[in-house]
Amino acid sequence: MNELFPLKQVMGFVLSLVLTAVALLVYFTDMSLLSGMTVLLLTAFIQAGLQIVVFMHAGETNDKKSIYTNIYYGILIALVTIFGTLLVMVWDM
Amino acid sequence: MKVDNSLPLEYSTEENSLKILGFWIFLGAEIMLFATLFAAYFTLENRLGNGPSGAEIFEITPVLVETLLLLTSSFVIGLGIHAMRLGNKKAMMIFFSITLLLGAGFLGFEIYEFIHYVHVGATLQTSAFTAILLTTLGTHGLHVTFGLFWGLFILIQIKKRGLTPETANKSFIFSLYWHFLDIIWIFIFSFIYLKGMM
Amino acid sequence: MDFFDRFAVPHPSFLIYGAMVSIAIAMIAVVVGITYFKKWGYLWREWLTTVDHKRIGIMYLIVALLMLFRGGVDAIMMRYQLSMPDNTFLDSQHYNEVFTTHGIVMILFMAMPFITFFFNYLIPLQIGARDVAFPRLNALSFWLFFMGAMLFNMSFVVGGSPDAGWTSYFPLAGNEFSTSVGTNYYMIAIQIAGMGTLMTGINFITTILKMRAPGMKLMKMPMFTWSAFIANVIVVFAFPVLTVLLAMGTMDRLFGTNFFTTDNGGMDMLWANLFWVWGHPEVYILILPAFGLYSEIISTFARRNLYGYKSMVASMVVISIFSFLVWAHHFFTMGQGPLTNSIFSITTMAIAVPTGVKIFNWLFTLWKGKIVFPTPMLYSILFIPLFTLGGVTGVMLAMSAADYQYHNTMFLVAHFHNVIIPGVVYAMIAGLTFYWPKMFGFMLNEKLGKWTAWLLSVGFVLAFIPMYITGLDGQARRMYTYSESTGFSALNMVSFIGAAIMAVAFALLVYNIYYSIRYASRDIGNDPWDARSLEWATHTPVPEYNFAIIPEVASTEAFWDSKKKGHELFKGKIEKIHMPNNSPIPFIMSCLFFAFGFSMVFSIWPVAIIALIGILACLTYRSFEKDHGRYISVEEIKETEAKLRGAKK
Repeated sequence: MNELFPLKQVMGFVLSLVLTAVALLVYFTDMSLLSGMTVLLLTAFIQAGLQIVVFMHAGETNDKKSIYTNIYYGILIALVTIFGTLLVMVWDM
Repeated sequence: MKVDNSLPLEYSTEENSLKILGFWIFLGAEIMLFATLFAAYFTLENRLGNGPSGAEIFEITPVLVETLLLLTSSFVIGLGIHAMRLGNKKAMMIFFSITLLLGAGFLGFEIYEFIHYVHVGATLQTSAFTAILLTTLGTHGLHVTFGLFWGLFILIQIKKRGLTPETANKSFIFSLYWHFLDIIWIFIFSFIYLKGMM
Repeated sequence: MDFFDRFAVPHPSFLIYGAMVSIAIAMIAVVVGITYFKKWGYLWREWLTTVDHKRIGIMYLIVALLMLFRGGVDAIMMRYQLSMPDNTFLDSQHYNEVFTTHGIVMILFMAMPFITFFFNYLIPLQIGARDVAFPRLNALSFWLFFMGAMLFNMSFVVGGSPDAGWTSYFPLAGNEFSTSVGTNYYMIAIQIAGMGTLMTGINFITTILKMRAPGMKLMKMPMFTWSAFIANVIVVFAFPVLTVLLAMGTMDRLFGTNFFTTDNGGMDMLWANLFWVWGHPEVYILILPAFGLYSEIISTFARRNLYGYKSMVASMVVISIFSFLVWAHHFFTMGQGPLTNSIFSITTMAIAVPTGVKIFNWLFTLWKGKIVFPTPMLYSILFIPLFTLGGVTGVMLAMSAADYQYHNTMFLVAHFHNVIIPGVVYAMIAGLTFYWPKMFGFMLNEKLGKWTAWLLSVGFVLAFIPMYITGLDGQARRMYTYSESTGFSALNMVSFIGAAIMAVAFALLVYNIYYSIRYASRDIGNDPWDARSLEWATHTPVPEYNFAIIPEVASTEAFWDSKKKGHELFKGKIEKIHMPNNSPIPFIMSCLFFAFGFSMVFSIWPVAIIALIGILACLTYRSFEKDHGRYISVEEIKETEAKLRGAKK
């Protein structure tokens, strides 16, 4: 863990830049809403996962089970809230 | 105070590991805070009243600059924590200072962005869309502002008190906060700006 | 004096003026009394700046009981108003204010602090810890809650009470239709109190995950602690929704935004949607700790360990997830399509299943137990059939097509009181009775306790069962009167009689407390109920540090095993104990939040800004603070233990 050169951080940064560039494709090219949303969902969640695991050291300690459960639960409820709200208020109204 | 030297400094006391877990739980709550804002955003996104739409007011360049500034600051604070774990107080303080400067730069661009929006007729009161747009961006921006002050206070404490289990713990928790703000920005960038400009 | 006009009540009455006078007199009496008995120092040192979870718990309890009184008075007034057709005791405006206040007070300022009292007092003791993970945050939680409650409670005498229902739907809650500051109070006071609750959630999750005694794995925790854990998980993920919602509501009212307006793109129905995204998990936050208390009480007085530990835990985990999947059942009639309504119908019916599992587990715990019936057990036995009735009417309401008939009639009002009163309120009283001797060193009177339980139950049935019928007959909710020709009057009179009997029962509870303080024996020992879990392995009163030696645990019923199977709880020797110091910051910061909230309600921007700066200053101070607590020496511990009649060995 105490190596001198922060290889993980640098790789994570580079990968984040790549993911950001891929996300930008939806602006610079002409793709359908469905493809665009898929690209954005993938790049966003992968980049978020990168930050959580690599930068925030989520899996490092004995508390990692609690931390990951907390994150999964939060993401689940967040998605339910967002998509549930859209279903109720927009799609099926 | 019992210090476990086999662990990184920021976890090394019982109280330290309590605080780190507690902060992760707080971040879980913040996920829901921003999720609610996003739920409202997607619901109100097309309710423009007499005001402009996202496509009409968003500009790619400032958004890209903001993204790169924040992403880089997230990377730099990661370098800062890495330096902290190596016990290099000077390097850590330099990295933290750069992080805060980049964060301030982000805020500067965002303030410019908001002023621009007002000029083109997208104020807080204009429509449901502008209300939720500016509230979501503003909530994130307020979090960043709060973070700038918090980070500054920690920097001062490190300068005065050195790298102790306590200051290391505070710095680590602050880095969790800062990374989290970048994660939220990723979603803002993708699903507010890019989606709006598709 | 234009400035002071804004504080006038827009729709006063004799009762409101009377309340103003009583409040003023009471406040003066309190200040004079404390000064006369020279207790300001004591108050500051022992209560206003305390970070001790037991003290904080008791403060929550006191506020909850006071709020129970206020909410109860609201209830009696409503029942009296409706007891006769065309009654003129409360006009429509006042009726609106009363039912709004009744809901907010009972749910947010009575039930929530009551369960938070149990969390605070019990959890560290049940898990063998010395305090919660973040004692100072805990104090801040309480004071923020307190200031939110005080801010809300003053609304009816300063500026005007909110009157748009406890759900405060837009557009009614917007500036066009709610012109007084009442709804501002709603948005801001609940926001402040809610922040305290969120902090409580974070605090207890961390405490339960990290501070359990050695040997107490998660699946060996007492059931109340499990229920509290799950409830606090729901808090952490539900309350931020409320935070955002109230902020948007505040912005609509104070800053002219268009989230929930009826023009400029606003969507009023979004309020209802987001409110219930929070609101449904909220009711599970209330009921789960109640279930936990029932588990403790039933197993103690059936003299058996709880049946089906694993399924009890699993059912609560399932309930916690499902509680976030059912919210639209609160507005089946709002206009969304049948697909949405069907989905939420199914999830709502599904959530009855894990609840049913729990009921059966309690029944199986009773089966072949050696049952005794002290007051807490009586409440638990009354709970089972009454709550089940409320639950099955919930399944009726869950069928979305049928709900078009039931929605917002008295049938609905009957249902939710039928689950909350036997569910939550009985558990609160039973738990209070059960833990009273541990907290205060004497028992509450048994005879009075049983009379209270029976009177409350008779009163409850008379008050609420008729509402199922009048609801099906067409009596709408939140209606301040009805005409004779509707035929509602007889059953509404029965409801009023029931409410009056409930009032007598609550008065008897208060009398019980007085009577027991005066006459009850103080010689009851540490374990008057012959109980099962660790909180009973402490002295009475519980010393500041809870346990002189941290216990070591081997089963789910550590204390029972130490009594009956010779398991040794407290091994090793006494060492110095690290305790946190008191702090004035939580109290001071909360006072600043009060000032901020009050000035926001009345749009007094300079004061709001100054208060905000003060709050930030407190946070800055906290960041730089170097207080690391203190140690209690071994001699002091040994002395305390000896004084409390022998160190536990």
